[in-house]
Amino acid sequence: MTDTLSIKAQLQTCRSKEETFKTLVTLSKTLPRLTAEEKTEDNKIKGCESAVWLIIEESHGIRHFKADSDAKLMRGVLVAILSLVEGKTLTDIQQMDLKAELAELNLSSYLTSSRTNGVLAILGKIASN
Amino acid sequence: MAFDPSSLRHLFPILAQTAYGHPLTYLDNAATTQKPLPVLNALQDYYRSFNANVHRGAHFLSDRATNRFEQARETVASFINAPEQSHVIWTKGATEAINTVALGLEHLLEKGDEILITSLEHHANLVPWQQLAFRTGARLRVLPLTSNGEWEPEFRHYFTDRTRIFAATQISNAIGTSTPLQIMLDHAKQQGAFTLVDGAQAVAHYPIDVQTLGCDFYVFSGHKMYGPTGIGVLYGKSHALEVLMPYQTGGEMVRHVSYQATEFNVLPYRLEAGTPNIEGVIGLAAACDFLSAQDRLALLTWEQSLASHVYSRLHKEGGIEIYSPEKGTTLVSLSVPNIHTLDLNAYLDSQGVAVRAGSHCAHPLMAQLGVAGTLRASFACYNTMEEANRFCDVLLEAIDLLSDE
Ligand SMILES: Cc1ncc(COP(=O)(O)O)c(C=O)c1O
Repeated sequence: MTDTLSIKAQLQTCRSKEETFKTLVTLSKTLPRLTAEEKTEDNKIKGCESAVWLIIEESHGIRHFKADSDAKLMRGVLVAILSLVEGKTLTDIQQMDLKAELAELNLSSYLTSSRTNGVLAILGKIASN
Repeated sequence: MAFDPSSLRHLFPILAQTAYGHPLTYLDNAATTQKPLPVLNALQDYYRSFNANVHRGAHFLSDRATNRFEQARETVASFINAPEQSHVIWTKGATEAINTVALGLEHLLEKGDEILITSLEHHANLVPWQQLAFRTGARLRVLPLTSNGEWEPEFRHYFTDRTRIFAATQISNAIGTSTPLQIMLDHAKQQGAFTLVDGAQAVAHYPIDVQTLGCDFYVFSGHKMYGPTGIGVLYGKSHALEVLMPYQTGGEMVRHVSYQATEFNVLPYRLEAGTPNIEGVIGLAAACDFLSAQDRLALLTWEQSLASHVYSRLHKEGGIEIYSPEKGTTLVSLSVPNIHTLDLNAYLDSQGVAVRAGSHCAHPLMAQLGVAGTLRASFACYNTMEEANRFCDVLLEAIDLLSDE
């Protein structure tokens, strides 16, 4: 099991772009893939250059997430993002500084608000009402 | 003797750096090239010695700036063999040049007229025409060139007596293919259409002669030919420029203004509203001078040899789809089945290799090729054979790391 702590640890200890790349590839393998039926237009995040789907389910105020992408590194990034927010309440999530937490994981290059960046859109949906 | 890129690489100080601890390997030249010292120095020199607004005259610096500014127009005119410097209009790039033409011809279009483009266009030479068609009721038609840019005799049926505008790229930015420009222009001219050539991907590599091409308009961007960003050129024949309705109005483009009416200035000023990008113009002229001082054929041959070397190495590997031609191009555009181009790009980047992954502003062409995007390595005169090989090596490593066992 890759729990949150070890995901954090794996990414935080990366010393170079190359190590981050390899860690994301490894993490990507732990993401359960979505079915074709789950990959609807509605679940698709706008603004990503790779296709990203995100499904939020809420029960008893607790949020559960499922996500997928056609790009492997993005699947690794999704594993990292979801590990931060899975099982939390919306209020808890809204109080988190997700950008800062991802930056601590050496993922800040995914956060620059360039024209093709969709990670910010993913974070937006995760914390949306 | 073969061209040696080290003979001019030292003119590009930006290349002598490392990226994440690896030597920077810059192979994204089709997006924008790096700038040589003569261009950098010209920009410095402008601000250090003759910065002033142009055409407003009346003092020492302004005269100097105006002279250099108009000299630059002559430099660019002769760079593309335009018959007169008044045929060179400054724009902020190829995109603005195409929009200037699309908006400027709007008053001549009627419902049912046809605008013809090719299937290899950058969005910059597609969307302005599509929107023009929407506004006027004209019909946008697309000549279906293959990814090899082949001409089929039946294509002549796309040119009809309703074709009012024909706009085509000289070279595809996404896959490096040269289009059969001359024959297409001939057919367009026979129908009396206005013709526009998008030279954005050509000027850095090929000597351009707009008179031989015979097109009504020729457009390009400075930043893709070793010049600064924010400056580009709209060349036009006199009659073609004369009919363009200025889409921007304001200062500089007028002769006399009253509250009742405005008399527009003559060409080229009529199409250059507002204070121009003077530093850009000065830098672009320096880029033309830089290129003109080179043996253009030797540079082109070198750039093509880098691309064809990469092509043949990767072709031999197998398992890589290559969309660019085997020979006669300066870039390699590819994809690897079951691996996202963004993932390949991320690994190349981690090794200091700069390429471009994506749809290259050509969504319809990507659809034609049946891919979401490609990975493009594009070469310039300063690239070395070691860099071409490094791209191949790192790409193969990436494929290895990203393949599902
Ligand atoms: C073929 C082609 N046309 C037009 C353009 C648009 O150039 P710019 O963005 O400099 O206006 C480009 C730039 O990528 C291009 O490659």
